[in-house]
Amino acid sequence: METSAATQRVLGSQSEAPAESLSPFDGVGRHRKWAALRRYSENRLAVFGAVVIVLLYALALAAPWISRYPYDQIQSGMRDKPPSAEHWLGTDRNGRDVYSRLIKGGQVSLAAGFASVVIIMSVGVVLGAAAGFFGGVIDGFIMRFTDILLSVPQLLLLITAASLFHPGLKTTVIVIGLTSWPGTARLVRGQFLALKGQEYVTAARAIGAGPLRIILAHLFPNSLAIIIVQATLWLSFAIILETSLSYLGLGVVIPTPSWGNMLQDGQRELIAGAWWLTLFPGLAIFLTVLAFNLMGDGLRDALDPRHRRR
Amino acid sequence: MHAGIWAYLARRAIFLVPLLLGLSLLMFLLIHAAPGDPVLAMMGERAASNPTYVEQTRKNLGLDKPLPVQYLYWLRRMVLHGDLGKAYTFNNKPVMTLIGERFWSTVQLQAIALFLGLAIAIPVGIISATRQYSTLDNTVTVGSFLGLALPNFWLALLLQIWLGVRLGWLPVVSGGVEKVGYPERLKYFIMPVIVLALPNIAYFARFMRSSMLEVINQDYVTVARAKGLDKRVVLYRHALRNALIPMVTVVGLQLPRILSGAVIIEQIFAWPGLGDLAYKSISQRDYPVILAITLLSGAAVMVVNLLTDLVYVLVDPRVSLTSG
Repeated sequence: METSAATQRVLGSQSEAPAESLSPFDGVGRHRKWAALRRYSENRLAVFGAVVIVLLYALALAAPWISRYPYDQIQSGMRDKPPSAEHWLGTDRNGRDVYSRLIKGGQVSLAAGFASVVIIMSVGVVLGAAAGFFGGVIDGFIMRFTDILLSVPQLLLLITAASLFHPGLKTTVIVIGLTSWPGTARLVRGQFLALKGQEYVTAARAIGAGPLRIILAHLFPNSLAIIIVQATLWLSFAIILETSLSYLGLGVVIPTPSWGNMLQDGQRELIAGAWWLTLFPGLAIFLTVLAFNLMGDGLRDALDPRHRRR
Repeated sequence: MHAGIWAYLARRAIFLVPLLLGLSLLMFLLIHAAPGDPVLAMMGERAASNPTYVEQTRKNLGLDKPLPVQYLYWLRRMVLHGDLGKAYTFNNKPVMTLIGERFWSTVQLQAIALFLGLAIAIPVGIISATRQYSTLDNTVTVGSFLGLALPNFWLALLLQIWLGVRLGWLPVVSGGVEKVGYPERLKYFIMPVIVLALPNIAYFARFMRSSMLEVINQDYVTVARAKGLDKRVVLYRHALRNALIPMVTVVGLQLPRILSGAVIIEQIFAWPGLGDLAYKSISQRDYPVILAITLLSGAAVMVVNLLTDLVYVLVDPRVSLTSG
């Protein structure tokens, strides 16, 4: 493709893993799956990331049982109280318990991130696969659209798209999902293009396999590694986007708490010096994003032996 | 200098035209599909009491015409006269004036953050790569992971609380910064620059390290060492040059991220820049301003992509112009 051809060549060795090495799930050797798992478990940072993720999801699922107060319970006379024995992380300007809101907000933010990534990956993989496999006009059309979307700073696109709908959890998920897929589409397209020329695909074609069979039985399984890595990394980006959008008041809106709108709430009480309203939700975002990044990086190193961490 | 470089440039530049047209059409449809009437947003309370006036204003702005006609009008004016129209809000200033007023304050801030980021990240990345697996290298690796995961709008809020409200050292927000004289004005830069430079440092340092490692492990470096060349000479004369090439591209590719960062960070610090203008124009449904900003930033990204490719071609003889 024309745009940034040199750029892609440069980055190719570093960000887009080469095709032929990425087949940990193919039929040749089941042991490779175990080899990948072993490589992953040897990476201490990656294991730390995975543990944190499991813990965070467990906390989100257990939210109703570990909350100390209903997250939307307003207590009069309890405005902006600092952390104490009754309210571990303090209270907000409506006298609501920050700890309980943080747990509920985590449920919302993690769910929003997860749902967005499902959309991103579905759209990105389908369009990338179509572009890479069919080539020609289809490829040209999809890739030009991708180029256009990638040229606009994403937050700008996100805010514009968010103003189309009423703000809320659903809007946030849809808008993030529909603006974030181009990178994935480009990556999957590249992978499909590289795999398409390999002998086993030619062989499959020669014995009469149709396009759908070639895609589902050969190209997709051999692209799974980069798709998984991509999905993991997007889980962290999606949470950053959700919290940014909610912070700006265009994402998840009160009374539903999310880590992003808790930060917006905290900013209102900034002059009052209520630091706990800002510190804790941000710390939660930080930890989540860090954990997903570590996990994504670990997965990339484990699944692609040539891209080992040096 | 390569032969045919102008042909290459021209070919790439021609490709930008349909992309920009596509971008403007997409954004045009997107903003017009949004509910909310710019005239009502503009007039606020007064609108309800005076429906004829609302109609008249809508007519004056050309908003009563069908969408395709509106788009073609906009396009014709822009292509033939380079005129992006007047803002609906912001005192009806011409869009170009408005953007011109905001442009420098964003560029100043982002340029400082970018160069500060590079000035710290490049040496850190190099040293980290040359002492692989040392304590320093591991610290850099962990540090860059932390830096990349840190939501910078959160850092901005924490700095506001700590340096602004609690200690009172720095102004919390930058409203009216353009009226402040120069030594005093620098104070307004400190917090936004820290916040914007930090992800740059983390990102560039990590990339510089891996780029340097990639080069160091190549055969010609081993050969140079085997010939008995001094380690420093090999590292800084042979390896570093090649390791810096990918950095050009990476810096170029950061532009969309930088512009995204401007939107939210300028919002937090009330910094009078383009990001703030973009956010406000979207929330006020100020169509001409939104269109102009997205189009200009899209064009900037495309041109920078082209330039990074070009620089790449110029500095790396292995990349040819024709393939790809």
